[in-house]
Amino acid sequence: MALDRNWLLIFAVCVVLAILYPLFADGYQLTVIRDALIFGLFAASLDFFWGRTGILCFGHAAFFGIGGYIMALVTLNDAIPFASLLGVLGAVAGAAFVAAIIGYFLFFGGIRGSYFTIVTLAMGVICQQAAVSWSSVTGGDSGLIGIPPIAFDVGVTQVDLSQDLPSYIFVASIVAAVVLALWSISRGRWGTVLTAIQDNEVRAAALGHNAPLRLLITFVLSAAIAGLAGALYVCMAGLVAPDLSGLLLSTEVIVWVAVGGRGTLLGPVLGAILIQRAQQTISSFNPSLWPLLLGCVFVIIVFVLPDGILSIYARLKSLLRGRRRAQ
Amino acid sequence: MPPKVCSPVCAGAWQVLPDAMDFVVTTLLNALTLISILMLVGLGLAISFGLMNVTNLAHGEFVTVGAFAVYFVQSVGGSFWIGLAAAPIAGAVVGCILEFAIIRHLYSRPVSTVLATWGVSLILQQGLELAFGLGAKPVTPPIEGTFDLFFTVYPAYRLILIAIAMLTLLGVVLLISRTSFGLDIRTVIQNREMAEGVGINTRRTYAIAFTFGAAIAGLAGGLVAPLAIVLPQMGVNYLANAFFVVIVGGVGSIGGLVAGSVFVGGLTSILNYQISPSLAQAVVLLAAIVAVRLRPNGLFNGASR
Repeated sequence: MALDRNWLLIFAVCVVLAILYPLFADGYQLTVIRDALIFGLFAASLDFFWGRTGILCFGHAAFFGIGGYIMALVTLNDAIPFASLLGVLGAVAGAAFVAAIIGYFLFFGGIRGSYFTIVTLAMGVICQQAAVSWSSVTGGDSGLIGIPPIAFDVGVTQVDLSQDLPSYIFVASIVAAVVLALWSISRGRWGTVLTAIQDNEVRAAALGHNAPLRLLITFVLSAAIAGLAGALYVCMAGLVAPDLSGLLLSTEVIVWVAVGGRGTLLGPVLGAILIQRAQQTISSFNPSLWPLLLGCVFVIIVFVLPDGILSIYARLKSLLRGRRRAQ
Repeated sequence: MPPKVCSPVCAGAWQVLPDAMDFVVTTLLNALTLISILMLVGLGLAISFGLMNVTNLAHGEFVTVGAFAVYFVQSVGGSFWIGLAAAPIAGAVVGCILEFAIIRHLYSRPVSTVLATWGVSLILQQGLELAFGLGAKPVTPPIEGTFDLFFTVYPAYRLILIAIAMLTLLGVVLLISRTSFGLDIRTVIQNREMAEGVGINTRRTYAIAFTFGAAIAGLAGGLVAPLAIVLPQMGVNYLANAFFVVIVGGVGSIGGLVAGSVFVGGLTSILNYQISPSLAQAVVLLAAIVAVRLRPNGLFNGASR
């Protein structure tokens, strides 16, 4: 299939760029792109659910935050051995668990579309409030600081990710592996059935597919990867704060996916990197300008670019083709 | 959240019963305050979300705009009542512009509506912050003092708030059930194509209904302004709660709206005495999710689907 080949080609180009990047970048630039890649992973996790099911989760940062807080609490506790590994596992499992509970009630309760969006929106609001008010555990408004970088043993060698280059390589390979895995899931039978459910759930059910279960598993998987991204982020940043589960981040991740192109998995990663670049530049002028611009971006996407930046190419192509035909 | 209002402490074992009555009545009135506000905010959502199938995430900003209208009128020397009259007008103006510029172009694209209205919500929040500056805005109630209700004394303004909310709701019920415009709305909701077929301008009916809902939400913002912390970001809490009112209560009837408001508002008020407000919010959310699972069509409507 030509589409698959195109996707793999773009993916390969991105991987090559990611490999070459350390040759030209200094340590600071590496950490910037590393953090952006983690948010890209987060965006890909949302896209895996939203892009394939057409159901928008408006509180995805809740899973990012849950993963982050679990990772922070595990690694800050000296009594726990293999803290990094257990922390990541706990983060993934915790986010998946919360998603499983909420998803069970919603999907099997017949909640779809806008209703789902609203409930997840409220879930995000509550997670942030919980992070602020449960201060004995979460550190309240100021969050938790001093989270150690990821360190674990592989055989006899110790992997220590406190340096810029190793942490960049580590994050980049995880992002590449997860995006590739998500893509192969969603292009295969699983994704096809999800598309069928999105098109017409009743008919898909009539063909023998357990639609609520499929949606639930997809949602849990998506949340687990968001939790993984959260865990990675707090280790790299060294701190965790209530903003990580907040409404603004939930909003931003939607913009990354929408700008990058919903359903492409790779587009959201690129969207995350690009928009964070823009955000840093704009915030350096005036921090309160960013939410304003973010709002404008939402409106512009809807009316001008409903299929994201990757669609510009296809649009130009059809435009040129149309002109040629006209001549 | 409304602070707990207490009567003067009375000593003596024989007064246990009046004390208990005081507590019950105060809790009930606090719940009633919250329920009234939720009903007004939820009404606009029930129209746009429940009936027109438009997910308007900027609905909370109508509340904010209403509250800021009261603040603005007071800050230039006007009285609270002028501000309260300005609040629904401000809400209606914003709602009308929103419908005209964005929502009417997106009736067939639900996810796009979600994104665009959220964008508008961010723009409005940040715009208010740029215009009025950071920090909470003070709004003074029109009357200080309390009202003696035999069992307890209660702030007079809250009683007025409840009364205005109830009268407004009654007015809406009459408008929908008795006027020809109400008939148009009900027709469009039941079957849009048929409504067009019999000569109703559905576009115009939608626009007016949406603006009307925005005005009521603006009124709610004006009413709640003296009790709440008036901030550009205040809308999101009302947004989430109002959506729960509509989802739990079920769409399509005033009864559902009342049931949903009583469920969400009542539970929140009662839990606020026992646990911290954010935990109470979480419990209400969970209860709402479970309620939706058990009664997908809403508390008020039948359980069949």
